[in-house]
Amino acid sequence: MSGKAPIKPARPAEKPAEKTVEKPKPVEKPAGKIAEKVEEKVIDTTRQAVPYNTGNVPGPEMARAVMPAVSGKMLAKAKRPLLIVGSEVHDKDVLERVVAMGRAGIQIAAVGDAYTSLGDKGVDVHYANMHALASYLCDPQWQGLDGKGGYDLVTFLGITYYYASQAISALKNFSEIKVISIDKYYHPNANMSFGNLKKDVFIAALDEVINQLPKK
Amino acid sequence: MIIKKGSFVIEGLDNVQINIGKIVEPGQESIIEGPTPRPEIISLRNWDYRILDRYHPVYTPTSDTCDYCTYGKCDLTGNKEGACGIDLESQSAREALKTAIMGAACHSAHGRHLLNYLIRKYGEDHPIDVGPSNLKAPLTETIMGLQPKTIGDFLPVLEYVEEQLTQLTASINTGQEGAAIDFESKALHAGMLDLLGMEVADIIQISCLNMPRAEENTPMAEIGMGILDSRKPVVICVGHNIAAPAYILDYMDRDGLFDKIEIAGLCCTAHDMTRYNKTAKIIGSMSKELKYIRSGIPDVLVTDEQCVRADILKEAKKLFIPVIATNEKITYGLPDRSNDPVDAIVDDLVSGKQAGALILDLEKVGELIPKLAMKIGPIRKARGITALPDDAEFKRLVSKCTKCLQCTRDCPQSLPISDAMAAAVSGDLSKFEELHDKCVGCGRCDYSCPVDIPVLNVIEKAAQRVIREEKGKVRIGRGQIGDPEIREEGRNLVLGTTPGVLAFVGCGNYPDGTKDVYDVVEEMLQRSYIIISSGCAAMDIGMYKDKEGKTLYERYPGRFIKGNLLNTGSCVSNAHIAATTIKVASIFAGRKTKGNWEEIADYVLNRVGAAGVAWGAYSQKAFAIATGCNRLGIPVVAGPHGTKYRRAFIGKPYRKDEWNVLDARDGSTINVEPAPEHLMITAETKEEMMPLIAKLCFRPSDNSLGRAIKLTHYIELSEKYLKKMPDDWHIYVRSEADLPVAKREQLMKLLEEKGWKIDWEKKKITEGPLRKVDVSFQPTNVPRLCKEAKK
Repeated sequence: MSGKAPIKPARPAEKPAEKTVEKPKPVEKPAGKIAEKVEEKVIDTTRQAVPYNTGNVPGPEMARAVMPAVSGKMLAKAKRPLLIVGSEVHDKDVLERVVAMGRAGIQIAAVGDAYTSLGDKGVDVHYANMHALASYLCDPQWQGLDGKGGYDLVTFLGITYYYASQAISALKNFSEIKVISIDKYYHPNANMSFGNLKKDVFIAALDEVINQLPKK
Repeated sequence: MIIKKGSFVIEGLDNVQINIGKIVEPGQESIIEGPTPRPEIISLRNWDYRILDRYHPVYTPTSDTCDYCTYGKCDLTGNKEGACGIDLESQSAREALKTAIMGAACHSAHGRHLLNYLIRKYGEDHPIDVGPSNLKAPLTETIMGLQPKTIGDFLPVLEYVEEQLTQLTASINTGQEGAAIDFESKALHAGMLDLLGMEVADIIQISCLNMPRAEENTPMAEIGMGILDSRKPVVICVGHNIAAPAYILDYMDRDGLFDKIEIAGLCCTAHDMTRYNKTAKIIGSMSKELKYIRSGIPDVLVTDEQCVRADILKEAKKLFIPVIATNEKITYGLPDRSNDPVDAIVDDLVSGKQAGALILDLEKVGELIPKLAMKIGPIRKARGITALPDDAEFKRLVSKCTKCLQCTRDCPQSLPISDAMAAAVSGDLSKFEELHDKCVGCGRCDYSCPVDIPVLNVIEKAAQRVIREEKGKVRIGRGQIGDPEIREEGRNLVLGTTPGVLAFVGCGNYPDGTKDVYDVVEEMLQRSYIIISSGCAAMDIGMYKDKEGKTLYERYPGRFIKGNLLNTGSCVSNAHIAATTIKVASIFAGRKTKGNWEEIADYVLNRVGAAGVAWGAYSQKAFAIATGCNRLGIPVVAGPHGTKYRRAFIGKPYRKDEWNVLDARDGSTINVEPAPEHLMITAETKEEMMPLIAKLCFRPSDNSLGRAIKLTHYIELSEKYLKKMPDDWHIYVRSEADLPVAKREQLMKLLEEKGWKIDWEKKKITEGPLRKVDVSFQPTNVPRLCKEAKK
């Protein structure tokens, strides 16, 4: 595994300056009652920014807790982003949002058994083994899941928490790729992450991320 | 003149003493057949580099810091260097070496304890007897270059292991090794030593304690938390070392106590107890330790070594269960009563004066335990001691839950405990019953609950119905695979017509419960893979029944042929699984073994379709076993928790030049398909694991029939469990004969879509494959094994 220059220290978890109270817009297919209920709430994804598994404290540099609009804009600006989803994607509400992101043009790596829910959704999805994928992402020679080049931004969603955390640890320490987690867990090894979220806030946050993506 | 072992003084030469340690009879001399007998820590470095050039170490650190020395703590985030100059990559490799050493030391020290004990009891000249085998100790022969005949012959083997482990441990010290690749080479060395230490431990106990010797149809042992008659006094032995339990079983046998006392084991001691005396029973894996103790059913706990919870004395003390520690490695601060009279010790424990005792006189342990159980059992039963709440208390406790989810966050499996609490409030216990199977019994939830709910006790109380029904069967550990079985099956394995040997091994830290292992093993047995199991995985396979009430061990026979299910035994019996591949190389292919590790490992890597599955691996021992298998050319798949071992060996199929092998016939370089693709990797779910292990059974040497069979399973498993054709299936196709017959035309159409040229009249592939099938192809990664090099 090739090394890399030290990355800049991430900022400690804080409430971002650009935070505004925004009502999330629903995705193409609104998530019914949950979405309506959440629209009345303030979506703050920076709370509870502590490692989801209490003991999972990697070191002095941990992810910056961000609002969904920040994650969404990062994804929208990325030249070649990759969304990695795992075995927790089968939940109907989560799946709808992942498909929406795929339809917005983001390539999806389905790890674990995620492909079973995504293969027939008409999105650019590829099966990958998470551990192997982490290895390939650290390799500048790798040309991506479709052979069209490496990725500049990787985002994680719906993967067994500790499994994703370990994979992100490889990217954090041995690659130049920016990693953002848009999962319901705070992932300390990412560059940016949501805090630990309850499901309604999580779904609303995903909607907000989707709102930032280019419409296709 | 007859020369004997011993020390001699020559008359008239008072200052001269002659020591004769070993007599080598004519014809008994070891004939070294390979270049590396007793390899030192860098003797096999070239082989390691060959592996590591293809299977790249992938690091997933759990900590970005190093605190090994007083320079630190050093922040190594982003692969920075610490004060000593080590970067995170090398530090991660160092951690891998340290983990492998710990595991290897554990098994080897187990072997050392047993060897000293068995030599004292049976003498150094006690013969080795492992069943119908000429190759009695394959790992010992391959590594040491010697063929042991007696248990005393293993003395220099363990001395070698101990010396090497000391050398390896020294390399971890600050200011020693600094290169990640050489830490990994040393970790592979530690893994190999681990296999050797395990082989010694199991061969000597098989030979001396009359355990099954490569027996195909060993009896079934009962397993489960519901198998014991808790009205009788209950003795539970915990750990891995049979020495103390053997004395207890002998005493009970002699005094006819099996009707009066229930005796069973937790973790691998249980396997070896049933191998020693089929009357013994198995409660289950380490995951059951805390659960079973908290039930209050055990009246006496006997500990030996390995996989024994650190809090066992504390937990037992609360429930008035005396703990007898019988091994120097785990002493719990208990008073050493080895030299005290049995009755005095019993009195002190029954009166509660002492919570336990350390007793290293194992004969005394044998006498003490039944007496103690008979005396304390009725007292404990009369008091009805248990940690589990009664019905009223259970209702009160589940009502206290505030749904803060802290227990879920601390749970290794992130189990939805608060949902089960909420359901239980309205009388629905089904969610807790599901949790019982998925819970690894660690008890972290107890500490995390802010309103002091003893969560594990609540789960176990709610799951009493399923626990009562938890009764399975395990075929008692058979030991090695005998030479005749290898002769019968070796050809099928090397040609690929048996799709693969899958070893289900390791511990119970499963991502989604024990049932996954059962499900996967059943699927692969139906597909005619040979399944060999050991340790806790072997136990968990036997925990479930089909509609007719039969376990997999009752449904599938235990011979080393396709579609059979074998249990080799305990953790140290893992050595026989690895050794089976050496036997295939030796017996089927006539490869020389003695001191010839590299050639044997090269053969295994390129020709023997075997893979290990450690789905619930948690311990350093499991890591050491996996690393040893890797050095022998056997790939291993772990469950998602395996990423916390922090290092894997992953191949990169897109780097075509890393998949070159040599053809030993002429030394020519052949670019081959990635087979096996990885040496150590994890999967997230069982659905992902199944096609992965099928793929890892591909080997460059497969003939077309074998490749077609393997490809069939790879494709079918992927379609069944991942709902897709594998993206890479075509790279394993060398000709139309490699395609499964039933799908040949359909697959050829798909190949055509990928740009391959097909002659539809002849139904032949004319262009596209990476290489052609060559039945005489002799793949090797070792240049000196090529004919040109030999000239």
